[in-house]
Amino acid sequence: MRREDVPPLLFQVTDDLPEPDLADVAWAGGLRVRRRRRRTVLISVVLVLVALLVTSILIEMGQSDGGGKADALPLDHQPTGYIAPAGQIAGIDYWLAPPAGSERFLDRLDTVLGDRLALPDKVNRLADHKLDKVVAVVLVKNGDGYQPLLLGGDASWSQADVSLLPVGGASPLSPGAISPDGRTVAFPQPGQLVTVNASTAKVDDYSLPGGDFRSVSWLQDAQRVLVSAPGVAYRVVVGEGRNGEQPVVRINGAKDPEAITAPYRIDSGAVTRYLDTGRWTEDSMLPLPVQSWVGQTFSSVGTVARLFVAGKLPQVPAMVSQPQGVAAISTYRSVPSRLLMLDDPLTGSGDVRDPGCCAVLGWYDEQNLLLQVRGWVLAWDLDSGNVRRVTELAVGELALGPGLSG
Amino acid sequence: MRDTVDPDFASFVDARQGRWLRTAYLVYGDLERAERALLRAFTQLSLHWVRVDDPDAFVQRLLYLPALKPWNRAKAFPDEDDQVKHALGELTPAQRAVFVLLHVEELTEFEVADLLGMSQTAVHGHGLSAFGLFRTALGAGDWRDAK
Repeated sequence: MRREDVPPLLFQVTDDLPEPDLADVAWAGGLRVRRRRRRTVLISVVLVLVALLVTSILIEMGQSDGGGKADALPLDHQPTGYIAPAGQIAGIDYWLAPPAGSERFLDRLDTVLGDRLALPDKVNRLADHKLDKVVAVVLVKNGDGYQPLLLGGDASWSQADVSLLPVGGASPLSPGAISPDGRTVAFPQPGQLVTVNASTAKVDDYSLPGGDFRSVSWLQDAQRVLVSAPGVAYRVVVGEGRNGEQPVVRINGAKDPEAITAPYRIDSGAVTRYLDTGRWTEDSMLPLPVQSWVGQTFSSVGTVARLFVAGKLPQVPAMVSQPQGVAAISTYRSVPSRLLMLDDPLTGSGDVRDPGCCAVLGWYDEQNLLLQVRGWVLAWDLDSGNVRRVTELAVGELALGPGLSG
Repeated sequence: MRDTVDPDFASFVDARQGRWLRTAYLVYGDLERAERALLRAFTQLSLHWVRVDDPDAFVQRLLYLPALKPWNRAKAFPDEDDQVKHALGELTPAQRAVFVLLHVEELTEFEVADLLGMSQTAVHGHGLSAFGLFRTALGAGDWRDAK
């Protein structure tokens, strides 16, 4: 058999096959397939839309039924060791501080102040051992006067060559004595302001027209100081002033000298902001049931803090003393304000925190507020609500500077 | 897609359906399967009629490739007394498809390779072995005697 013989044999096999007519049938089949595909696509689109609709309805129902579910989301972002607030006072969340006597057992925030801050055995002369940044200032009684001891970032102490007089029968150390750049310390004196530049050991005094000055507060530019006495206050240029600027300008005073602070101050039921004109403008109202404010106001980025003594508070019943707490008021509407109440209603021991025992000392960083609570410096973490001990105080008055956080 | 059959499509199908049904019958070894495969191929062509560049190759691929699939290998020409059909039934599906396309459609080995997705060498081997088996089955002697 040759290859040419194969096709006739194969054609012979197919001779009796019927003649098909597939054109119409195939076209109709194509139409059916196309319609079925369209129908499938349409049904799929409808199903997807229905699924999306049902999902959105379920989400909407979940949000409306849950009430607080959306608010609960930030819980995922809560810091480690978060403590829930104990309740609300005047619409502001408050936390309860650890009871008096328990400070020693709190977690510690390690700083250059050490575990216990006492007067040093070894002190350098500031002229011999200048400091780039002042971390803390304490006063040493020397006869009728006081001498300032400055603590540097390297944990060394330097004594400034200046003798300070008491003001109003008390030591002339204001909690806001250290400038925002940590280089200069300011002291209120009778009829004058004294500054000590720690980086040059230079002492300057600025005469002021009368007044029993008791409080100083630095402006953020570290070039100007607000000095205040009861009912009178001055703004003093101690660094570089503007052209033609008066070195000493009288500004609005207050009955409480410690109320005069910048850039914010809290008193009289409002948070007010300092203006270059020497006036304060209202930033927000403060509906707290405050009987009196204690110490100075300290401002961080977005938060202003000051200690207050309240009358009777149903949320924090005081057994012996009056309720007092720290108000950390946010200057941003999106960030909530917070309170730390110092009186523990369960405290029945002799460790009572009387009004005036405590005050705000400043900010460790943007979230940790430093408080002087009887013989301790404590740090309140605003994010987590935790309170840690910073140091035990074996000194009298203390002023802290920005170099504490390194 | 229009509801009534496209005249060009009808002309295309009318001109080829007889020949392709015979070829498909020889490849599948079953008239019903051959008709079903051819109708499916034309139906698919109708869906893509205006977009297909080479309708012949489109239909032929759809017509012959399913015969090579492992799940589509029913016995060809079962219970047939005809010697030629019996000889074709002895071939594997690939051998039968190559053999039919070479000798009935008169395609070259390269065209068959392109159509069935095989190498030209594979097509040559299938064609040679299929011819030898076909000759032997018909009692025509060893394929190496063929000229």
